[in-house]
Amino acid sequence: MSELMGLKAKLGLDVFKHDKEAHIKIKPGMEKDPRLKRAVWVCPAGLYSENDQGEVELTIDGCLECGTCRIACGIEVLEWNYPNGGCGVQFRFG
Amino acid sequence: MEKDFDAIVVGGGLAGLAAAYTIADAGLEVLLLERGDYSGAKNVTGGRLYLNPVREMFPDLWEKAPLERFIAHEELSIMDKERSITVRYDGAELVQAPYQSYSILRGKFDRWFAKQAEKKGVAIVNKNRVDDLIIENGKVEGVRAGGEDLTAHVVVACDGVLSLLAEKAGLRKPGVPQDHAVGFKEIIELDRTTIEDRFNLEGDEGAARLFMGEVTRGKFGGGFLYTNKESVSLGIVVGIKDLMEEPMVQAPDLLDAFKLRPEIARLIKGGETSEYSAHVIPEGGYNSLSKLYGSGILLAGDAAGFSMNIGVTVRGMEYALASGYYAAQAVIKAKEADNFESETLAVYEKLLNESFVMTDFKNFKDAPRVMENPRFFQHYPQLAGNVMKDLYEVPAGSKARIYPTVKKYLTFGEMWAMFKDFRGVKKI
Amino acid sequence: MNIVVAMKQIPDLQQVRIRNRQPVFEDVPYTLGNIDKNALEAGVALKEALDAKLIVVSAGNEELEDTIKEALAAGADEAYLVIDDSLDNIASDTSATLIAAAIKKIDDVGIILFGEGSGDNYSGQVASRVAEILELPEVGYAKEIELNGQSLRVTRSLEESEELVEVELPTVITVVSEINEARIPAVTQILKAGKKPKEVVSPHELEIAIGSVQVTTLSNLAPETDRKQIVVKSVDELVKALTTEGLIGR
Ligand SMILES: Cc1cc2nc3c(=O)[nH]c(=O)nc-3n(C[C@H](O)[C@H](O)[C@H](O)COP(=O)(O)OP(=O)(O)OC[C@H]3O[C@@H](n4cnc5c(N)ncnc54)[C@H](O)[C@@H]3O)c2cc1C
Ligand code: SF4
Repeated sequence: MSELMGLKAKLGLDVFKHDKEAHIKIKPGMEKDPRLKRAVWVCPAGLYSENDQGEVELTIDGCLECGTCRIACGIEVLEWNYPNGGCGVQFRFG
Repeated sequence: MEKDFDAIVVGGGLAGLAAAYTIADAGLEVLLLERGDYSGAKNVTGGRLYLNPVREMFPDLWEKAPLERFIAHEELSIMDKERSITVRYDGAELVQAPYQSYSILRGKFDRWFAKQAEKKGVAIVNKNRVDDLIIENGKVEGVRAGGEDLTAHVVVACDGVLSLLAEKAGLRKPGVPQDHAVGFKEIIELDRTTIEDRFNLEGDEGAARLFMGEVTRGKFGGGFLYTNKESVSLGIVVGIKDLMEEPMVQAPDLLDAFKLRPEIARLIKGGETSEYSAHVIPEGGYNSLSKLYGSGILLAGDAAGFSMNIGVTVRGMEYALASGYYAAQAVIKAKEADNFESETLAVYEKLLNESFVMTDFKNFKDAPRVMENPRFFQHYPQLAGNVMKDLYEVPAGSKARIYPTVKKYLTFGEMWAMFKDFRGVKKI
Repeated sequence: MNIVVAMKQIPDLQQVRIRNRQPVFEDVPYTLGNIDKNALEAGVALKEALDAKLIVVSAGNEELEDTIKEALAAGADEAYLVIDDSLDNIASDTSATLIAAAIKKIDDVGIILFGEGSGDNYSGQVASRVAEILELPEVGYAKEIELNGQSLRVTRSLEESEELVEVELPTVITVVSEINEARIPAVTQILKAGKKPKEVVSPHELEIAIGSVQVTTLSNLAPETDRKQIVVKSVDELVKALTTEGLIGR
C-alpha cells in the first residue's frame, strides 16, 4: 500500500464548492461545553480541535456533511444546517 | 386550492428518486429538489445493493443500470490485534443470474437514476436546498426553497438520515447517538485486472468482505471492502455512542489503522485513493422509526429511519427504494381520492406493513440491542483468535493436545456467558 | 432589438481530477463559464433598459441543450444552439465561424456580449474573431456598460488604468468578471427555462464544414523551474535576496 496520506490530503481529493457562510457554527458561549468536546473525536474530517483555553474550534472547510457532530453534540451547542444549494462537498463516487 | 404540483419530493437519493419516478410514471406532476450539484453528489453508501426485494418495483430499470460488480464471493473476518480468522462463502446461487446483489457507487448510480426519472416526466431541480415546509392549519402545503414558496398537495421528505424536514413537521426529534452510526470510506482505484487477480474474480464478479473486532477497537460496528469495476470501497462503520466512549479514538484513525493491517494492505497495494467520504447511518431499528406520515407529508428512506445495521452489515438502499415506491403508491391513491390528509396517507404504513420492509424491521427488532453487546466485538474476536493461534502453532517443545487447548479457553463460566449471548442472537 | 450573449459549455473544472498525470473527463458534468454568466447578467440589465429580447447563442455537443437551461433560467429569453458531437474541443477560429454564422441568422442584433475569455482554455479570441467576421466594432474588457441614447458608454478595465469609450450599435462587447454578480436562478425560473424557445441547428445547416482542426493538448504539466538554492541566515538577508531578485520592493 502507498504510505498513509494525512487527513488534509485525503480531503484535498474531494470536490468542495465554496459557500458564502459557514453552515455549521458553534453556538456563542458553548465553546467549552463538554458536549462539544465529543466532536473532536467523532468528526471523520477532523475539523474540530480544542485550543489552549479549552475552547473547541471548528474549521468548516472540508466538511463532509455527514451529520456526526449534530448527532454526537446536539443542537443545543451547534447551529447546524446543510450548505446552500450547489455548495459544499460534491462526491464523484459516493 | 390550486397547487404548483401534485407532489414535491425533497432529496434525490434512492428514496426520493424511487418516489418521484413512480409518481411520474402514474402521470402525476412531480417536482424533485436536490441540494447537490447532481443526484448522488451528497450520498454515501458502503456499496452493496440487494436487488431481489426491489427488482419488480422498477422492472425497466436494472438492465442498463450502472451497477459495478455482482457479488460472487463473501468473506467475513474476525480480527484480533495481530491475527484474524476468515470465513469464506461461495454459493451456486451467488453466481446465477439474475444476481442477488451488486456493488454500487452512488455518484454514478443516482445520477443515472435521476436521468431515468426525468424521462418519466419528473421535473428535477438540482443545486437547491429546501429550507422549510409551508404548514397551514397543521397540513403541509409545500416547501420553501431559495426564498420561494412552492406548493403541492403532498411533500415526500426523502432528505436522508438527519431529515431536518421531518423535525420541522414534528414527525421526529433530533437523532441521538445510540440510534446512529457513522460510516467513512475511501475509494481506492486499482486496475481492473489487479482487482480480478487479487480477489480471484472473473469478469464482472465481485467480492464483499466484512471485518469485525479490532477494526473498530471492539466498538459496535465493523469494516467493509467491496470491489467495484476499477476501484475498491474500503471503509468503517462505527456506532456514534461507542465512539464517544472509552477507549477514545479519533474516527479517522480507525480507517488508517485498518489500511495498515497486513490483511488489507496487500489488497490495496499500489492503489490510488481518489475520494474520502462520510455519512451518518440510522441504526436504531424498528423502535426508532419516525412517524411515517402526517397531513400532506410522507417520509421515506433514511429520513424515516429505514436503515439497519446488525453489526457488520448495513442495509438501507433496498429499504430506501421500497419505501420511496410505497410512498408513491400512497400519493397516487391520495390523488385518486383527492384527499391528502393523514387518514388517506395512512395507506403508506399499511403497504409497508405488508411488505418485506416492515417484516424485516420487526424480525430484527431486537437486533440493535443484542448486537450492542460489546462481547461480540471484543471478546469473541479475541477468543477465536487465541484458539486458532494455539491450534496452529507448533512450539519449540511438544504441541499441546487439541482438546485441552480448546478447553483452556472454554471454561464453564465462559460457556455460560456464551450461551446467554447467543440466546440473545436467536431473537434476530 | 435583439441582444445576443455567446456562452460556452465547459466541463465543471472543479470536478476534473488527475489520474496517471492525465485529466479525467469521464462523468464530469458540464456547466457554463463563470465570466460568460457575467456577460449574461449584463445582457439581462441591458435587455430591461432597452426593452429588447435576450438570445443566448452557443455551439457544443449534445449535452448543450441541457446545459443551456442554466442561461435560460438566469434571464435569456431564447436559445440558438449549434449542436454536433464533433464540437468538442474545437479551435477558437471554428467556434467563431459557427457563432458568427448563428448570429447572422438572428435579425436586428444590436449588442453581442461575450465573457473576456472562456472558463476552460481562456483563449479570449472568439469575440474578436466574431467582430471581424461580422464587420462590427469590438469593445473589450468592459467593467461597466451604460446606455446613452442610441449608443453605449463602456468603461474598460485595463491592467493599470480604465478607459471610457462610446460606441454605436451594433457592437461586440466582452466583459470582465467585476462587471456584476451573476444571479443564481430561483426554482420557478429553472422550471420555466425548460419551456422557453430553443432553436437547434447543425453546423451543416449553417453551411459550415467543421475543419479537422481540433485542439490537441501536447502537455499540461507546469513548466519546470530550477530552484535558485539561495541560503539565507536571517530575515534581513531574506529581504535583501528577494529585493535583488526583484520580487519585493518594486
Ligand atoms: C458508509 C455506509 C455504508 C453503507 N452500506 C450500505 C450497504 O452496503 N448496503 C445498503 O443497502 N445500505 C448501506 N448503507 C445505507 C444506505 O446508504 C442508506 O440507507 C441510503 O443511502 C439511504 O438513501 P436515502 O435516499 O434515504 O437517503 P440519501 O441517500 O441520504 O439521500 C438524501 C438526499 O436528500 C438530499 N437532501 C437532504 N436535505 C435536503 C434539503 N433540505 N433540500 C434538498 N435536498 C436535500 C441529499 O442531498 C440527498 O441527495 C450505508 C451507508 C453508509 C453511510
Ligand atoms: S458534518 Fe461531519 S464532517 Fe462536517 S463537521 Fe460535522 S462531523 Fe465533521
